[in-house]
Amino acid sequence: MSKIMKILLISLCIGGILSLGVAGAAERPFRTNWSWPTYIDPAVGSDFSSSVAFVNLYDTLLYPDVKGNPQPHVAKSWKASADGLTWTFHLRPGIKFHDGTELTAEDVKFSMDRLTTIGEGYAYLFGKVANTEAPDKYTVAFHLKESFGPFLATLFRLYIVNKDLVMANIKRPGPYGDMGDYGKQYLLTHDAGSGPYVVKEFPLEEYLLMVQNPNYWQPINLNAPDEYKMIGTCEPVTVRTMMSRRELEIADQWQPVESLKALEKIEGVEIGGFFSGSEHYYMMHTKKPPTDDIHFRKAMAWAMDYKTVVDKIYVGSVQARGPVNQTIPGADPTVFQYHRNLDKAMAELKQSKYYGQLDKYPVVVDWVSIPADNEKVALLFMSTMADIGIEVEIVKTPWGSIIEEMATEETSPNIAGVFVAPHYPEAGSLLASRYGSKSVATWEQNEWLLDPKFDAMIEDALKTVDREERFAKYGKIQRYIIDLCPSLFLFDQLEKHAYQAAYTDWPAARGEAIPIMGYNFAGRFIKVYSDKRTELLK
Amino acid sequence: MRGIKFLAKRLVYSVFVLVGLSILIFTIARVMPGHPARMALGARAPEWAVERLREEMHLNEPLYVQYYYWVNDALHGDLGMSLVTRRSVANDIKEFFPASLELALYAGIFMGIIGIILGTISGWYSNTWVDNLVRMISYIGIITPSFVWAIFFVLIFGYLLALFPTMGRLTPGVGPPPSITGMVTLDALITGHFAAFFDALKHLLLPAISLALGPLSQEARITRSSLVDNAKKDYVASERSCGIPERTIMFKYLLKPSFIPTISIYGLDFAAILGNAFLIELIFNWPGLSRYGMNAMLQKDLNAMIAVILVFGLIFIIVNIIVDLIVGYLDPRIRLGVERAQ
Repeated sequence: MSKIMKILLISLCIGGILSLGVAGAAERPFRTNWSWPTYIDPAVGSDFSSSVAFVNLYDTLLYPDVKGNPQPHVAKSWKASADGLTWTFHLRPGIKFHDGTELTAEDVKFSMDRLTTIGEGYAYLFGKVANTEAPDKYTVAFHLKESFGPFLATLFRLYIVNKDLVMANIKRPGPYGDMGDYGKQYLLTHDAGSGPYVVKEFPLEEYLLMVQNPNYWQPINLNAPDEYKMIGTCEPVTVRTMMSRRELEIADQWQPVESLKALEKIEGVEIGGFFSGSEHYYMMHTKKPPTDDIHFRKAMAWAMDYKTVVDKIYVGSVQARGPVNQTIPGADPTVFQYHRNLDKAMAELKQSKYYGQLDKYPVVVDWVSIPADNEKVALLFMSTMADIGIEVEIVKTPWGSIIEEMATEETSPNIAGVFVAPHYPEAGSLLASRYGSKSVATWEQNEWLLDPKFDAMIEDALKTVDREERFAKYGKIQRYIIDLCPSLFLFDQLEKHAYQAAYTDWPAARGEAIPIMGYNFAGRFIKVYSDKRTELLK
Repeated sequence: MRGIKFLAKRLVYSVFVLVGLSILIFTIARVMPGHPARMALGARAPEWAVERLREEMHLNEPLYVQYYYWVNDALHGDLGMSLVTRRSVANDIKEFFPASLELALYAGIFMGIIGIILGTISGWYSNTWVDNLVRMISYIGIITPSFVWAIFFVLIFGYLLALFPTMGRLTPGVGPPPSITGMVTLDALITGHFAAFFDALKHLLLPAISLALGPLSQEARITRSSLVDNAKKDYVASERSCGIPERTIMFKYLLKPSFIPTISIYGLDFAAILGNAFLIELIFNWPGLSRYGMNAMLQKDLNAMIAVILVFGLIFIIVNIIVDLIVGYLDPRIRLGVERAQ
């Protein structure tokens, strides 16, 4: 073979490699990236990316509005019995699953039974459901073991699966008796929903590709993505490359500050932020010296520099106002808020039984390494406490170890810095999980409050079916907690995402955020302008 | 016949190594801090669900009983369920291993060809500016971790020049070829899906080169040193004195024995890049076994962790046996030594 022929052949190969393009590319692709794994089985997943997938693949009885309030969706109306033990929903007729079969009350009952039997994913929200019945094709009733006022809010997490499809794909034997594996293997890579998107490809560990459901029963805006891809990587370099090549429309929320700054410099990319309901607490152990002393705790609350936290470290976040994130329905905006005041801090400290022997009682603070800025908060805390003579020992602790430490009263640290979001969008969720006696020994409570008065108050509030009355009770509880000062309420977290503002209209970024994990990524409300994208690529 | 005996003996030894490895990793995995069932089901999962999973996985039994269950299942081809992917670990390995193997094979090709060529050039022109240049390039290759190369390539060829894809095995929309071996390029060639072949090749280039650069530099240095050492030996001087041309000496008499140390190291490097590719697989979102294994360890996915380590252990053993056979073929002294010892 002559040299010229060899050169030609090599050139052809290289040309082939570089030139072959994408076959069958979507007109309005929409791509986001997430930490993995993602589960598309609503009875298995409950993390962020799984929740995003559920919102796009499945329907729920109710849908939240921007304030997190329940609105009709699959259910057109509902009512609760006077004792709050039975909740009855009337479904819209004619809603079709992706395979064309009709969504009925039997499917809703099956979805609830399946979720509570498997016990994974969002099943923890439905522990109070005794049983579900479907008296007719379009009516479903949930019977509760005890009255539970916020029941409606939990239904945002009951994703309705196609009973016939799941039953046809059950593998026997399995861990669930007659139900075999309850379709878990099938739903690992297939959906059984009626939502606005349908699974097209799901190579595990790589990405989830969904396409728009052309027969969706609700309107989908004309510029909504025709393909929706969730990519399993959070690697900053990869994210930056994809954003610059317009191969990623919204980046994940875990990008470090430096990466966000670099992303913001890309033409057409902006940083969008919204409050998703998460609050960062310094949870103080109320049974362990020296944080068992209320005056000692209040001294720390007065000494902490909240302003620096939100102005310099978690920029854009706002100082928390009490134990409930202010975007959560039922949060009381009028409760007392601490600010840095060293005189008041010293006055409180002097009333503490540990005053005069502070060197004997160093305060141990466990902080989690992700996000990395937690270290800055811990260092700031250490330095501000030094201003009033309190010794602080900060300990970088892996998340798994924090959970283990918080499992017993003895091993729990004086302070654990943890982000907590509500299980369902109501103040009662946070109050119960953060301070109720049932949640001690879990990662959601390092305070070990064990306060019978609080338990009675929250139990009473949660049993109250009337919303306004329930919210008034939440307000009283928030004040009660602030008086006890079991935590430093540091800030309500701003969830930040870099996104292609030049060609993507994302409601959450322009102030229409829904304070429930996953719902801000519903593809049918997002608009992608492909002509503007093409312009940017030129 | 003696060669077969040698092979059989090595295989028997390998079984003992694998059993020992399984006991070691089984014990380490279970005494590591963290509750696998709780981590799998999430921090808010009800206690009864966590307890049920613990019972399903026999985690409440003593360690030796757990090991018995595991061995019993493994001998029946059941490596258990992965707590992360929620599938059988055997299926996961079947899916993810070919991706890693394909990546390692391409890296191996770069590593072998370029490393040996560079080493040979360096040895041929020893102590000249060419040798110095190759030495400098090799040192840069050796001291730079593969993930740095990966980031560098992503920034240059993905971000600035936008010439190559930076994630995954295929571009969405490019239909994957029917799976025969699980290696996309090979399957595409077998089934005639040339669009998929070129697309997969585009996806492979950057991660494979990132993985190969370190080891290939090492191979270049070893080949060069070996060549230079052998060139000083008496038999080469004797060949020169007989008037045999330098080119013939080099390619006929010098290269073959000089490759022996290179091939030994090459084998180890090849097995190592399979196991150590997790950062590359992470950066390029490559769905390989190495990344799967890393996630298994981070999330205390017991069954997956043990299976992945055993697979990599097995690869090390196989590669070492192959290397021994090749080295034996290249160097009759070693082959005869083995036979005499037997």
